[in-house]
Amino acid sequence: MIRSALLGGVAAACLVTPALACEDADRVPLTWSTIAGFYTDAMADLVAGFEASHCAKINIVNIDNSQLYNKQVIEMVGATGAYDIVTLETSEKADFAENGFILPMTDYLADKQELVNDVAPVLATMTTRYNGDIWGLPYYTYTAGFIYRADLFEDAGEKEAFKAKYGYDLAVPTDWQQHRDIAEFFTRKAGETLKGETLAKDFYGVGLMAGPFPEIQDELSGPIWGAGADWLDDEGNVQTAAVEKALTDYIELLKFAPPAALTVTYDGVMNQMKDGQIAMTHGFFLDQWPNAATTEESVPGARMGVAEAPGKKAYIGGFLLAVAESSAHPEEAMDFVAYIGGPEAQKKFAAAGGTTTLTSVLNDPELTAPENRAKTGHFGTLRQIFQSMDGFQSNLFSTPYGAKIYNTMQIPLQSAAAGQITAAEAATRLTDEVAKICGGPCPIAKDGD
Amino acid sequence: MAATYASAGAARPAHAARGGMSDRAFAWALIAPAMAIILVFALVPLGYAVMVSFRMADLTRGGLREFVGLDNYRTVLFDQSFWESIAVTLKFTVAAVGLEMVLGIAIAFLLHGATHGKTIVRSILILPLATAPAVTGLFWRNLYDPQFGVINWLLGSLGLPEPNWLGDISIALWSVVLFDVWQWTPFVALIALAGLSSLPREPFEAAELDGASTWRVLRVLTFPMLAPVLFLVLILRTIDSLRLYDAVAVLTRGGPGTVTETMTFYLFRTGLKLFRMDYASTMAIFFLYALLVASVFALRPLLRQFTERAQAQN
Repeated sequence: MIRSALLGGVAAACLVTPALACEDADRVPLTWSTIAGFYTDAMADLVAGFEASHCAKINIVNIDNSQLYNKQVIEMVGATGAYDIVTLETSEKADFAENGFILPMTDYLADKQELVNDVAPVLATMTTRYNGDIWGLPYYTYTAGFIYRADLFEDAGEKEAFKAKYGYDLAVPTDWQQHRDIAEFFTRKAGETLKGETLAKDFYGVGLMAGPFPEIQDELSGPIWGAGADWLDDEGNVQTAAVEKALTDYIELLKFAPPAALTVTYDGVMNQMKDGQIAMTHGFFLDQWPNAATTEESVPGARMGVAEAPGKKAYIGGFLLAVAESSAHPEEAMDFVAYIGGPEAQKKFAAAGGTTTLTSVLNDPELTAPENRAKTGHFGTLRQIFQSMDGFQSNLFSTPYGAKIYNTMQIPLQSAAAGQITAAEAATRLTDEVAKICGGPCPIAKDGD
Repeated sequence: MAATYASAGAARPAHAARGGMSDRAFAWALIAPAMAIILVFALVPLGYAVMVSFRMADLTRGGLREFVGLDNYRTVLFDQSFWESIAVTLKFTVAAVGLEMVLGIAIAFLLHGATHGKTIVRSILILPLATAPAVTGLFWRNLYDPQFGVINWLLGSLGLPEPNWLGDISIALWSVVLFDVWQWTPFVALIALAGLSSLPREPFEAAELDGASTWRVLRVLTFPMLAPVLFLVLILRTIDSLRLYDAVAVLTRGGPGTVTETMTFYLFRTGLKLFRMDYASTMAIFFLYALLVASVFALRPLLRQFTERAQAQN
C-alpha cells in the first residue's frame, strides 16, 4: 500500500507536467499488450498524443483475442516485465488482481475522482473493482444491447400480420418470450414474402453467436440475469436450474437462426445482418453498431435500430487497462492508463468509431449529433443500459476463478446448442467443471464494490 | 593429383587422421553435438514434465507446489473429457491416415504409369505441403462457410443439400478429416512414387515374360518391395495425425461442442487456458508413453529388416 501511495504521488506529479521536450533516448519505454483489431488500430493516434505530452515511448503488442489471456498470464507468472500495461476482459480482472499480477490504482486515482466517477457506475463495478480496490480503467466497452432491422419492425404489413398471429403489437421486445415470437415470425423460406417482396433466399428471425467461442455465454448472461439469477450463487455454486432454463430457451431459438449460428461469433452475426439474412440479434455487443449501421448501405431499404436487450439485462463488458506488477515503470504506466481512459483520449476514440466508457463522452452533444448516427447512434441506448443495470453485479466477475470459468463454460453450453448433449446435461456438466476449477464452491469477493 | 591424395589418405591409418582417437571415441565425438541438442531440448523438458506430473502445479495459484504422488494420474484416468478426446483422436487418425494411404498410393501408381505431365503434377502436389496449416486452415474455413463458402455455393447451384460442414456434430470431424486428406495425401503420393521409381526393373521384366497377371505382379512383387517405404509413411502419418492440433485450432476450435476436440487440443486447453500444468503434463506423459509403445511395436518389423540387411552386407 505504501508503495502504491508513493507511486500515486509520483505519478500525480508527472501527470500535471505539461508537454515535455525530451530526447528519444530519454523516453521511458512502455509496452502495452492488447487485442489486435479496431480496438487498437484506432488507438494509434491517441498513443501519439500521450507520447507528445509525456517522455515515454509506447510499444503496442497486438495479440489475437483468443491468445491474449494465455500470453498475458504467462508473462505475469514469470514476472518478465515484458508488458507494462495489460488488457483484461471483465472476467479476468479478479484473477489478475488476486494473483498479484496487476497493481491497484486506488491511491493513484485518489485525486482523480472526477475521472473515476465519469466511468458508468455499473461498468466501473464490473470491470475495475475487486476487493475494495480499483485496478485500472476501462477504455472500451462492448456492453450488450439489441440491434434490429427497424424497417421490418415498422412495416405496416408485417405489423398487421404479427398482431394477427400473436395478438399483440410488433415492437422492440421487452422480454425473451416476445423476442422468441418475433424470431419465429420473421423466419421465412425463399419464395415467401418479406415487406411484401418475394425472398430470393431463406430469411431468419435472429442471429446467434452459438459458435465455439465465449460469446455464447455472453448471450446467455442476459436471460439468466434477467430471471434474477446469476451464473454463480452467493455461495459460489453454479445456478444449475437457471442455466438449464436459459439454455433450453436458447436452443429453442436456434430454430430461427441461420445454420451458421453454430460456427460464428459476433463478426459472423454482423455479416448475416449486412447480407440481409436476419431481422435482429440476441443480446449483442453494441460496440458493433457502426458495423451494423452499414446494413443500411448493403441491404436496400434497410434501416437499423438499437435498443436495450429484452428484460433490460445484458452482458456488461469492457477492456480494462491495468498496470502489470512486474512493470519497470509503473508510474508512467499508470499515467498511460489514466490518459487512455480519460476524457480527451476517449472523445477522440469515440469520434473514430470506438465505444467509450465515459458518461461525459456518451453525453457529448457534439458526438451524439444526428449526423454522427452511423458511429454514435448507440450511445443513447448505452446510457439507458448503464442506468437500468445500475447497482447490478455478477458473482462471475467477483471470483478469482472467473477467467478460468469463463474459458471453460462455452464447452458444455455449445455442446448443448449443437445437440451433442441436452441442456440439462450441459448445466450439470458446467456445475461439475466449475466445482473442479474452484476445488469446491468458488470464493466470491463480497466487497467487490 | 586427386589420385595421389586419395592413395596417401588411404595409406595412413584412420585413427592417425583423428588425432589418435579410437573408432569408438570418434563415433561418440560425432554424435555428441546431436545428443547434446536432444538432451537440452527434448530430454530435459521431458524430465521436467514427468516431475510436474507428480506435483500440484496451477500456474495462476502459486505455480509448482507440493508433491501429490499419483493423484494427477488418477484424476486424468477418471477424466471423461480426456477419454473422449482420445476417442476423437483415434477416430480421426484411422479415417485420415487410411484415406491418405489409399488415395496417395493410387495417385502414385497413376503418376508412375503416366507418360506426360508428371513434373507439373508433382509440383502441384507439393503445394498443400508447402503451405502452413494455419494458412490452409483459414482457407478451408472459408471454403466450408455455410453462408459464404464456395463449396455450399456450388452444391446449392446444383440443387444439392448445403451441409453445415463445421457446425453439424455428425459431419464436423469428417470435415477436418477431409482437410487433412487434402493436405497430406500428396505426401504419401510423392513418397510412394519415389519408392515405385526406385524399384529394380529386372523382376518385373521377368514376370512379364512369364505372363504374370497385373494383380499377381502387384501382390507378389510391387507391394512387398514397396512395403518398407509405405510402412514408414504410414508410421509418420499416424504419429503426425495423433498430434493433430493446428487444423482443429483454426477450423473448429474443438467444436461444435467437443466433437473435434483432439487430445492435443484438450491438452492445450488444460495447460494454457486453465493453467493446470500438472494435469497437462500428466496427459502428455500418457500420450508419449502410448506413442512410444505403439511406435516400438510398429517399427519392430522394419528395424528387423534393416538389421538383417546390414548383417547380410557384412
